[in-house]
Amino acid sequence: MVHTLTAREWFTQFGISDELIRAVLAEATRHGADDADLYFEHSISTAVGLSDRTVNRAHTSIDLGMGVRVVVGDQVGYAYTEDLRLASLKRAAATASEIARHAGLAAPVRTTGPRLPDHYPVARHWEDVDLAERVPLVRAWEERAFSRDARVQKVQVSLSDTDKHVLIARADGVVVADYRPMTSAYLGVTAIDGEKREAGGYNVAARHDLSYYDEARQGRLVDLAVDRALQSLVAESPPAGEMPVVMAAGSSGILLHEAIGHGMEADFNRKAISIYSDRMDKRIAPDEVTIVDDGTLPNARGSINCDDEASQTERTVLVDRGHLRSYLHDRISARHYGVSPTGSGRRESFRHPVLPRMRSTYMENGPHDPEEIIASVKRGLYCETFANGAVQIGAGDFAFYVKHGYLIEDGKLTRPVKDVNLIGNGPKVLEAIEMVGNDLTIDEGGWTCGKDGQSVPVSQGMPTVKVASLSVGGGAR
Amino acid sequence: MSHDDDILDLAERVVRFAKKLGADEVACSVSEGSHVTIQRRGGKVEQATEASTRGLTVAVLCDDRFSSNSTSDLRPEALESFLERAVASTRYLEAEAARRQPDAALCGRGVSEAQLDQLDPVWERRTASDRASYAEALEDALRELHRDDVVSSAVYAADGHGRSIRVMSNGFSGEDEGAWFAAGGEMTLVEGDRRPESSAYFAARYLSDLPSIPEIAGEVDRRTRERLGAGPIASGTYTMLLPGRAAGRILGMLAGPLSGGSLQQHRSCLEGKLGERIGSERFTLIDDPTIPRGLGSRPWDGDAMRSRVRTIIEEGVLREYDIGVYHARKLGVEPTSGGRSNWVLPTGTRGFAEIAADLPQAIEVTGFLGGNSNGATGDFSLGIRGVLWEGGQPTRSLAEMNVSGNVLQIFHQLVETGDDPWTFASVRAPTLVFEGVQFSGT
Repeated sequence: MVHTLTAREWFTQFGISDELIRAVLAEATRHGADDADLYFEHSISTAVGLSDRTVNRAHTSIDLGMGVRVVVGDQVGYAYTEDLRLASLKRAAATASEIARHAGLAAPVRTTGPRLPDHYPVARHWEDVDLAERVPLVRAWEERAFSRDARVQKVQVSLSDTDKHVLIARADGVVVADYRPMTSAYLGVTAIDGEKREAGGYNVAARHDLSYYDEARQGRLVDLAVDRALQSLVAESPPAGEMPVVMAAGSSGILLHEAIGHGMEADFNRKAISIYSDRMDKRIAPDEVTIVDDGTLPNARGSINCDDEASQTERTVLVDRGHLRSYLHDRISARHYGVSPTGSGRRESFRHPVLPRMRSTYMENGPHDPEEIIASVKRGLYCETFANGAVQIGAGDFAFYVKHGYLIEDGKLTRPVKDVNLIGNGPKVLEAIEMVGNDLTIDEGGWTCGKDGQSVPVSQGMPTVKVASLSVGGGAR
Repeated sequence: MSHDDDILDLAERVVRFAKKLGADEVACSVSEGSHVTIQRRGGKVEQATEASTRGLTVAVLCDDRFSSNSTSDLRPEALESFLERAVASTRYLEAEAARRQPDAALCGRGVSEAQLDQLDPVWERRTASDRASYAEALEDALRELHRDDVVSSAVYAADGHGRSIRVMSNGFSGEDEGAWFAAGGEMTLVEGDRRPESSAYFAARYLSDLPSIPEIAGEVDRRTRERLGAGPIASGTYTMLLPGRAAGRILGMLAGPLSGGSLQQHRSCLEGKLGERIGSERFTLIDDPTIPRGLGSRPWDGDAMRSRVRTIIEEGVLREYDIGVYHARKLGVEPTSGGRSNWVLPTGTRGFAEIAADLPQAIEVTGFLGGNSNGATGDFSLGIRGVLWEGGQPTRSLAEMNVSGNVLQIFHQLVETGDDPWTFASVRAPTLVFEGVQFSGT
């Protein structure tokens, strides 16, 4: 089947008409409300996997349903159903409406559909790509990985994609629909050298179609996975304790995500539980630091044409030359603060209510060459690849795991290191940023952010950055 | 086949239809459930969520080619085309006979429904008013403990029910049903520029097995106040006191290396160590899916093979891996189990306070922040928060510190287990005491 329907037309195949939308919104607002919305979602996901030199598994998943939210002040009633028949939708709406017991917003008499930008244009939907087209790709990646080095003993590959359609209908009459493609690929390697064994991997992800996998990207996917496994064979644990840390350009954006990004989500500030709750317009970092959360980067994993409550997405400056300038708002927090939403209201699926979330978070370029930054460190740690970030919103303490890096000795990268957790305090680390590089890179990896039991795709990026001191959880060996 | 069908009928019809389409083997699971969550903050309901849900997963094997497929679109016409597409697309894959279903003789219920005791009759009688009253009482109890430094607190009460059916073309058919209850809260204080926070959550199969409302509120308050004045201390080796509720993170680092997938892909630091000592004599780890009201209890495992109690580690010696049918065939060994259920550690004779009183100095790790472990080498590095104990007294709240080590070493450092197993999770560990653990701070 070749897709010809627009995103708005997509849900007509499930019987979702303007009349039905009005009927369900009327049920949701029967006790009144300050806000209400319906979120219809249909996604088709496919994944193929290879291990032991065999393309030996596929997984397909279809998800269809609707979530209904009724908002009164900062109180939320939420219900969802996988059954899109009118009676079931109205039952869910009636359940959600129980949160509201006072007169307010009524259901719309007519709906309007603002035109959305297209931040992820694609030529072909994934449902129009046969499994037979995916199989040779993963096979070729495996062959390239084995051919790279005799120490590569096992290779695992997966190629995943999703066609997701959403339709969001608000009680103020706004109705928008969006088609959201996503693809990701992962290649994992087990390398064995005598008694030593290590696993390494690399992944790429984007809101894109099959053309995303050009020759250069396929080469990086394989070569970086193999390089990482081989590097781990000779890497050691760094020494423990506080030391200067240089974050490499790209996935080091995890520092921003954990040290400040979550703390800028407006729900945490509205509830006064973020360490940034009373710091708006105050200086929190040196002049060189400008931090942005952006929903508009072309084809980025974190991009969205509109957020999940039909607000326009945008480029939001969180920190401008060291000063805190904006939180990330959904419609509830925007009403609370009397500002416009920043298009940051996101949810994992129709089974989850909206929360303020990050999209693509990055730091703008500074004035320094990366080599100059490394040369400025007498003894410290250079961090290259990451996993598992976490933060405590109120205390501001955060951590992330460095999978690969190097020791810096006398201004030069020397011994490779691996597998170490770094921990710090958000505001203290932002103040401790000493140098910002001129090599901003948005990482191409498949980052996923977790909050309140919900996972959403995000992107992150950073230029090379020097932090005066972070606690490194290395060994005493 | 639709939203209105009984799920057993639905599963049986899916298996028949997929076979008719040409699948050699079919396994279908259908589940349905409902849940309600109420969260209160500031003296009112902050969020109420309610849903009834249903979904289906079908695994098909066609000419030894395998796919797994799931859908929540149960409209009759959609389900038929979903199955047609699943069977047709599976043929594009490559053959691997290891995917075949286990012998039907190995499948079935390993423990009676009565023994598992997963369905609290209270759940069916619970009304919207009961739930609202419970959440309100919990919030009132927590707010009664507020002092001037509290900037926000919230409570959470949830319950749910699930029923699932599995039907396989090898003849297996089974039904499983259970309910669950959860309650907890969080609190944030103001302390200079920082806003120390903590939380406490509890889950159980029976409502009556949850702690009382005052106990839950008290635990939220205690854990949050414990965070005041937190900071790092000097790097070094310390005795680590790990309360049962936090032990899952350390014990969980064994799960990957124990799994058949890691072993078969040579990504496990435990490969080749069966029968070898990997911990002290204090370390015994049992996988027990038969515990009445256990959160990880189950009648059969992921391959539908009968549940049984298994000793994974016996007095420090590795006795058994977690190897499901697929990886067992690839490894040429007998399957043990496709994944863990309840993990149980035998208890000791002393409680936390008594153990702490005997230690001149120790770090109690109350929670973890980020970090990871390398399953291939066993190296781990985890961020921690905790409390410094000296002479049996808590003397300092700890933050911005890491603990590091190796999975193959850390359990040799286990010197005592407490008499206080944590029962609100599937990892039912007592307090664990490890000597000579590497912490990094200032």
